[in-house]
Amino acid sequence: MIDLSLLGFGAGSWGKVLLLATLMTLAVTLVALAIGAIIGSLVAWAKLSKNLGWRFVGDAYTTVFRGVPELLIIYLIYFGGSRGVTWIGSLFGAQGFIGLPAFMAGAIGVGVISASYQAEVFRGSFLAVSSGEIEAARAIGMPRLLRFRRIVVPQILRFSLPGLGNVWQLSLKDSALVSVTGLAELMRQSQIAAGSTHLYFTFYIAGGVLYLVLTSLSDRIFGVAEKRVARSFRGSVGRG
Amino acid sequence: MDFAFLSDTMGQLLAVTPVTLELWISCIAIGGVLACFVTWARVSGVPGLTQLAAAYIFVFRGSPLLIQTFLLYYGVSQFAEVRQSFVWPVLRDPFNSVVISLALCTGGYTAEIFRGGLQAVPGREIEAGRAIGMSGFTLFRRIIAPIALRQALPAYSTEVVLMMKATALASLVTVWEVTGVAQRIISHTYRTFEVFICAAIIYLVLNFIVIRLLLHVERRISPHLQGRPNAIHPGAPPEHAAGPIELPEVPR
Amino acid sequence: MTAIPTLSVKDIHKAYAGVEVLRGISLDAQEGDVISILGASGSGKSTFLRCINLLEIPDAGQVTVAGETIAMRPKRGGGQEPASSKQVDRIRTELGMVFQNFNLWSHMTVLQNVVEGPLHVLRRPRAECVAEAEALLEKVGIADKRNFYPAHLSGGQQQRAAIARALAMKPKVMLFDEPTSALDPELVGEVLRVLRALADEGRTMLVVTHEMGFARTVSNRVVFVHQGLVEADGTPEQVFGELKSERFKQFVSGLHA
Repeated sequence: MIDLSLLGFGAGSWGKVLLLATLMTLAVTLVALAIGAIIGSLVAWAKLSKNLGWRFVGDAYTTVFRGVPELLIIYLIYFGGSRGVTWIGSLFGAQGFIGLPAFMAGAIGVGVISASYQAEVFRGSFLAVSSGEIEAARAIGMPRLLRFRRIVVPQILRFSLPGLGNVWQLSLKDSALVSVTGLAELMRQSQIAAGSTHLYFTFYIAGGVLYLVLTSLSDRIFGVAEKRVARSFRGSVGRG
Repeated sequence: MDFAFLSDTMGQLLAVTPVTLELWISCIAIGGVLACFVTWARVSGVPGLTQLAAAYIFVFRGSPLLIQTFLLYYGVSQFAEVRQSFVWPVLRDPFNSVVISLALCTGGYTAEIFRGGLQAVPGREIEAGRAIGMSGFTLFRRIIAPIALRQALPAYSTEVVLMMKATALASLVTVWEVTGVAQRIISHTYRTFEVFICAAIIYLVLNFIVIRLLLHVERRISPHLQGRPNAIHPGAPPEHAAGPIELPEVPR
Repeated sequence: MTAIPTLSVKDIHKAYAGVEVLRGISLDAQEGDVISILGASGSGKSTFLRCINLLEIPDAGQVTVAGETIAMRPKRGGGQEPASSKQVDRIRTELGMVFQNFNLWSHMTVLQNVVEGPLHVLRRPRAECVAEAEALLEKVGIADKRNFYPAHLSGGQQQRAAIARALAMKPKVMLFDEPTSALDPELVGEVLRVLRALADEGRTMLVVTHEMGFARTVSNRVVFVHQGLVEADGTPEQVFGELKSERFKQFVSGLHA
């Protein structure tokens, strides 16, 4: 019933294509997470600000990008982004429609969504940094920037690890929605293979399995990383 | 500010909002019931059953909802056996198909949430129940389940909101709900930002209502977590009432 | 024979939410003084100590370290603030502080904790910093724990590491904020031994403490703070022996209750 050779690597087989698509999924998610980390740090900083206005901006960001469907946001970035790029192009004299490359649209789309979750993770981690340790740094005469770099940031990264693991898993699955832009990532390739062979069940199962491999591997890796970090700091979180 | 366009768009979107709501309520209801069974299987300790439940949870939490949806809608139609069976009229309809895959998905996540709630029940309170002779179903019904539900409520609230967003995927299997109609308008008029804002407003308002409702439920069933009742004026609001309960930040 | 005091604190006032915690405390410390600061909880003694290195900003009053006064300027809405954060940072490098809760940096090993200040704040060569750090850890008795993380040490070991960390900056004055209050009783002794050794070396130390034994036998001066003011200030014999202050008598007897 299911011809497994179709999933192989020979001519007319989809194995290689699907594996490449898996790499594309990883690439999009990685770039998205990087974009999200940058935006997320800014949003976290805004939410922690003493200024009411900035706090409002930060809260508005997380409310919108956590409350609106991811699909809609990807449409926004893809279609809206293309319009934006076309408009910028027209300023430079280019003519006609310039599309935002699918990879960019996808990465930015998933990125701005992950940013809202990353902002919460960073904010929580920042608040968890022991005030006593910051005081000790002040008492030793460390200026503010050095304190931030040497004491606060390492701790934030350490505390953020579990939360960022979750965000990674979330973004990996959100990346499937990037298929609507036509990018040849795993979801789209599964769709193409399924449509081309009319073996929908086969190829959606294959795609699903590959996603499961990605998420469980990620789980494993983050688990190991968290254990290693925790080994050094067992019992010290929250002290002071 | 093209108000004519905005109000026309809003009108179109509001017209399909009931579809979004139907999808959402159906999948939450079915998924919730499903989750009860899956959680029970998961914690039952029966060999085979436990693994099956764990596998179910693993599959539905580890893969994207989109591929699950496509698998159910397009995939099962591949088999002649299914097409000839009694479930075909049900499965053929895209709306039903989407509700089932949404329910299966939220079933997996909710099962984990319920399991977390069960694990959070303090052992000493179960012991106290046992000490007065409670056991079995009574113990579960009177002590374990109520506490577990209260512990699970914040995470469950997040899940419920996530399901609202998930209904948008129905547009990709030909169900006309808010996101689908929004996308159709965008592709005709290219007025991305305005349409986005209209659709976003609808979702945000719906979320807001749902979150408020759930907060209200949380408050009603957890009077013991609010401040001490005012002894002199029994009806007055308690002092130092607990603030709005923070929804956990990252869902999974 | 009054040389310039190593530390001179004049007329410190500090209020929180309208309540005056420090109502005009002054203190001078000569080189080699070991001053025990005693007082009931809430008397303001910890706040006073923290005003010296400006972890708390006094509403009024000034702090002078080795002849250099920390410049203050008036603040909008009352009170004052430091005029130059650079000066504050620099003066802090000359004041070593040891905290009640140790406050070791949990993401660094003991050695890294001790080396951090000299290396990144004072910017001395790494080899020199590490060598001195190892010597200090030897001195406080935890050299074998140099590569351990704070979480893996006992309270007493952590506090001794914290003392080494403060000493690494070669401060002119050491400030101890209830250094043994967070320790299990059997660990208090090892920390007091280190304090005593430092005192014997001739270091200038201000120690906020509840340890009466230490105050009587190791310090050369005892200051009793009550409700934001200095109630008694003299040698241990004077303050404990003659027990001029009624309040001090109450305080001491209260401790033995």
